[in-house]
Amino acid sequence: MSDRSQLISTGKPFAFDQQRDKEFERLAKRYPIRESMILPSLWLVQEQEGWVSQESIAYIADRIGTFASKVYEAATFYTMYHLHPMGKFHICVCRTLSCWLRGKQEIVDYLKDEVGIVPGQVRDDGKYSLEEVECLGHCGTAPVVQINGKFHENMDVEKLKVLLTTLQ
Amino acid sequence: MSDMVKLFVNGVEVEVEAGKNLIDAVGAVGIEIPHLCYHPALGADGNCRMCLVGIEDGRPPLVPACKTPAQEGMKVLLDAEHIKKIQRDVMELELINHPIDCPVCDQAGECSLQDYYMDYDQRESRMTVAQVNKNKKMDFGCGVVHDQERCVLCGRCVRFCREITKTGELGIINRTDESRVNIFPGRPLENRYAVNVVDLCPVGAMTSSDFRFQQRVWFLKKSPGICHGCSKGCNITIDHNRQKYEDDIIYRLRPRLNQQVNGYFMCDEGRLSYKQQNENRVTQVLIDKSEASINDAIQSCLAKIENSSSPLILVSPNCSLEQLVAIKALADQIDAPISGYSDGYIKAGDGDDYLIQDDKSANRAGLNLLEIDTTKAKFEERLATADLLINFDNDLSLSYSDTELKEMLSDTVIIALSSQKNYLTDLANILIPLAAYSEYAGSLINCDNILQTFDKALSKNAPLDDAAIVAAKLGGPMKNATDIFCELQKLIPALSNTELQNIPAEGLNLNNSEASNVTA
Repeated sequence: MSDRSQLISTGKPFAFDQQRDKEFERLAKRYPIRESMILPSLWLVQEQEGWVSQESIAYIADRIGTFASKVYEAATFYTMYHLHPMGKFHICVCRTLSCWLRGKQEIVDYLKDEVGIVPGQVRDDGKYSLEEVECLGHCGTAPVVQINGKFHENMDVEKLKVLLTTLQ
Repeated sequence: MSDMVKLFVNGVEVEVEAGKNLIDAVGAVGIEIPHLCYHPALGADGNCRMCLVGIEDGRPPLVPACKTPAQEGMKVLLDAEHIKKIQRDVMELELINHPIDCPVCDQAGECSLQDYYMDYDQRESRMTVAQVNKNKKMDFGCGVVHDQERCVLCGRCVRFCREITKTGELGIINRTDESRVNIFPGRPLENRYAVNVVDLCPVGAMTSSDFRFQQRVWFLKKSPGICHGCSKGCNITIDHNRQKYEDDIIYRLRPRLNQQVNGYFMCDEGRLSYKQQNENRVTQVLIDKSEASINDAIQSCLAKIENSSSPLILVSPNCSLEQLVAIKALADQIDAPISGYSDGYIKAGDGDDYLIQDDKSANRAGLNLLEIDTTKAKFEERLATADLLINFDNDLSLSYSDTELKEMLSDTVIIALSSQKNYLTDLANILIPLAAYSEYAGSLINCDNILQTFDKALSKNAPLDDAAIVAAKLGGPMKNATDIFCELQKLIPALSNTELQNIPAEGLNLNNSEASNVTA
């Protein structure tokens, strides 16, 4: 684990766009306790911006009507909320049992050594970021790579090379 | 008194209150169950696991005592080997990343972790890995300074801000060994009870910027007292010390438990009000601005009273009941009207629905009980005709501006008896210093009509008389405490069959007693 308490400020006020605003109001009706909206709201922020900024946490807290400290707690507890900007293409490589046995390390090593993407970091040009994640639920077609939410199964280095060329 | 149940602790039968959790129930008969996160005002959280005990009735081998209500016949195990092991293990977990900076930590001497280490652990660290580094001396606002490395993550401060003040500034950020208490950036502590988190913190993670590095706590004398900061009369512990070659001064005030008045807490303003006891004090007797002895001043006062055709006595709403009785008797003796006008002590709208009251005086109910007039109209009318004003510690500069005061008092002789310097003590023809409330004993009636007594806490190098003694010296008929108490017994029927020392520690609620007619 690493310290995630340093939030990044964009210096600009945050607000949901029209689509997320509508989605927020739709979800809010689901929960008898409004504080339950903390996690879905953080997802909406991440969907909209790609990451969660200090301003967006304050916005969510005020929008839900809860303490900013509570949203701050949730955002720093769950590592799937990105607290800094990710690459244009965010690559998640599964590191759990099946994928590990079926060669996820070769994929990670290739990305690190040949493409220059270090796990947990964003490449300098901002195009790629890489993260090793826990089970994505595609164990039968391991190893699996998820790029911007889209799954690519039965991966190997050769397939990945081709895949990367399609990412523009 | 609620129902009692009998249960066994380590095989020994004890009788405890039913329904309370084991920590409180067993604690009340002097058996300590170690705990870090549980606090009676904040309820059970169950996160620290320090209070795990065994109960021999087929439950799981370990249960948290903070969440287990005391029941008849319960067999509680505290000294079994597997319980001791659990306590040692929890201590080891807490100490993995805890800096051993007790020699420079303000909490040392009143630290749960330190005490529990000595009581339950006493082992060397087995850790060989580097400790997790976190932030130190973080300014959380409101005079609270936080050290994340010392924190044991009990969450008391977090729960206090969420449950008691409902401001929720604090949160536990991150997870696992990186967890830490923090504020959200740009939203620091902003409530009037914030420094209570320093008292709540079982370790030295929360420190008060006011008290930090001032004193080692084991040097402090802890005397009970009543805060005079507002009409609530919160119960406090006055921590004071006489350093070598110095005077006895107060280093901090802490809230003292009184369920009937303030519970476990007090406000920050009251907490810092000790400074008025230490600073800006009147210490020198002055006659026409030149230093004099107290006897000369008293003689001079007596002469002025003798020569005065219409004296007026003004009292402070902070005076104790005893002082008010003595001063009122003096007023009757010299045939002077007495006023308790003190509108300046009331800050309208400043109070809240918890502890803080609008009225910043400690004993206005006492003024009313003694039927001392407090109206502005009467005070001004009497002052206009008075040629002598004897002021017992009433800070008129709260009620009037300096220019107003100067004009009002231009042709009046002023005898000021005061503990604090203010504009009136500058104007006074005769100035006599008085003891502040930590330097005398007395009783007060708070805003809820609860009569509370307090004892003398400090012994100054040069002790000052309190207002009751000065009133007697000025010719008042109430010469001693017995006379005064007899008078109080007449005024307060609830006291008629009791002695001063028999007044309960929690205070005497005059509303509940048959004497509820006294203030009617």
